[in-house]
Amino acid sequence: MKIIARIILLATGVLLLSHYLPEGYRLLIAKKHPRPPIVFYSCVQKEFLFYRYNDHGMTFVDEKGTNYVRETFEQLLPIDNYLQLLRNDTLPKDIDGVPLIPDKIKRERLSIRIRPEMLDTPLVPLYPLMEAENGRVRLEMPNDFMRLKDRVEFVIAASNKVDSAKSDKFTRVFVKAGFTFPPRIVAGNATTLKPYDEGYFLVDKTGVTYQLRMVRGEPDLKRISELVPLSSKEQWETLHPKFIHVQEGETHEIRAFLISEQNQTFLVVGKDYKLVPIPLDHYDPSQMNLVIRGDLLNRLVTAVTEDSFEAIALNRNYEVLRRYHEELPTLKFTTASRIRSVIFPFTLSFEDNSTNYYGFFFEHGSPAAIVLNVLLLIIVICGIAYCRKLNARRIPDLLSVAVGGIFGVILLLLLPKVDQ
Amino acid sequence: MRLYWGLMFLAHFVFCLFLCLQLRRVCMINEPLPVWSNWLFKDYLFFRPIEYGPLLLGIVFACLQFFPEIIAKRLRLVLHLPLREDRAIGAHLAVGLGLLSLAFLPGIGLLLGYSSIWFPPEFATNFVYVYSPWLLGGYAAYLLSSFILLEPTWRLRVFYFLLSASLVRLFFLPTNYDSFSRILPWLTLLTVGLVTLPLLSANRFGKGYGT
Repeated sequence: MKIIARIILLATGVLLLSHYLPEGYRLLIAKKHPRPPIVFYSCVQKEFLFYRYNDHGMTFVDEKGTNYVRETFEQLLPIDNYLQLLRNDTLPKDIDGVPLIPDKIKRERLSIRIRPEMLDTPLVPLYPLMEAENGRVRLEMPNDFMRLKDRVEFVIAASNKVDSAKSDKFTRVFVKAGFTFPPRIVAGNATTLKPYDEGYFLVDKTGVTYQLRMVRGEPDLKRISELVPLSSKEQWETLHPKFIHVQEGETHEIRAFLISEQNQTFLVVGKDYKLVPIPLDHYDPSQMNLVIRGDLLNRLVTAVTEDSFEAIALNRNYEVLRRYHEELPTLKFTTASRIRSVIFPFTLSFEDNSTNYYGFFFEHGSPAAIVLNVLLLIIVICGIAYCRKLNARRIPDLLSVAVGGIFGVILLLLLPKVDQ
Repeated sequence: MRLYWGLMFLAHFVFCLFLCLQLRRVCMINEPLPVWSNWLFKDYLFFRPIEYGPLLLGIVFACLQFFPEIIAKRLRLVLHLPLREDRAIGAHLAVGLGLLSLAFLPGIGLLLGYSSIWFPPEFATNFVYVYSPWLLGGYAAYLLSSFILLEPTWRLRVFYFLLSASLVRLFFLPTNYDSFSRILPWLTLLTVGLVTLPLLSANRFGKGYGT
């Protein structure tokens, strides 16, 4: 039992030290991380412009690195800065024949932000299904919440009981539409602070996508592949989305953003649910922040990580106008970071950008860390052999040094000897 | 000991009862819809104030159980009886864990039962995932406190304390919904493994290190 206790103590100790020591070191070497620039697409110059951050503050530059004063920069981005230009009375009348009307500029703005952890986040599986056409100015929250497991159930909040009649009515419609329970994805925006209600995009057990709305109390469930033109029917059937973000904007143009099983990204556009691929070359949904911004003339897509970013500008027909990719300065190759990757054979953290669930996320050190582990192991073996105490009971101690390197050595120095 | 255990049980149960009454008040003065919406979308969990209850009970109970034994040196006598050392300490720990469970469980049952009046079964699942790490943290705190108390030298007590504090912190990371669900089996396994640690200290205590 004593040896089991020692193994548990060593294993726990190595894991804890591999979390806390690198954390402490990180605090010690903390340095300002270079901020990625903010990207714009100029409808005047037809190129990308940037807010870039440096030690002196913010600079306004273009792709070639030309610096601009703020006022000139704002003139090159009239749609982004229309309120300031209106105030200065310098807002152009039109751009490329499209009149710049403030109300229209405001209405046509859209913004979608997809963070990696949104793809893997804990939620309670109860969803408010709003009345999509309630005849009122604003949307209203329903009094019940929808549960989708082996059937549809509506739980009334006031009584905490299932509304059997409504549940049966919806379940019948689901069965009739060929929906296979339980759903893999239920995606919607459970808020009344939106101009209209798209309801929920559902992906059933077999990967088929549906849209559910409630219209005047009646279920409105559509298999999306049956609503689209013949040309994109098969694409919808084989899409098997793994993530859907529903978008409910003033223009009703973009209905959703989705990521397929093969990590392809699409916008669902217009009345016929057209799948528009987002032609990013370097987008990894589990690591990168994706931002889609839209205005009266263009769409701008940026995918950003700590060490690189990619931007593409699209016109209103979603054709690529311009691309930009840049590697950003990173702190990974500083002396302090290199020392860290040699001293610590691995680091353990319990949180990761890619998920909102806790887990064990290991990051390996450099190959030099393995060499250091071997060296430490030889030193420890020599030390123990010198004291004539090298025996089978030392195996857990030696393993902790072989695997944990510096962490194992610290533990051996602080813990009582195995025979004490 | 019976008196202290009774007081601990009562304190925990009364606090759980207080939380239930507070939930009742929230549900009575508000419409059910905003209460549910706060739970579903704003992470309102009425039982959150009990978070450090199991931790506190675990530490206090270990102190109550082992302090008098160590101070009066009764434990050393037990370790010299013709009885296997790990069995003797194991029996102490089994009684301790059992009494601790008896102190926790009625309160937990009350919270679960009362919340089921106001919330659907999804809330119970939510409760289990959020409360389990705290409960395991309580057991871990009891076992690690015993581990520290039984250690005879101050140098190691300090080191064990630092190690234990850094370990127990993991059970109390900020949590919402089922964010712990993927590491909960590992935390459970770890807590079971911690049962062996007091045996290590007891062995050193029995050998008379530090005296």
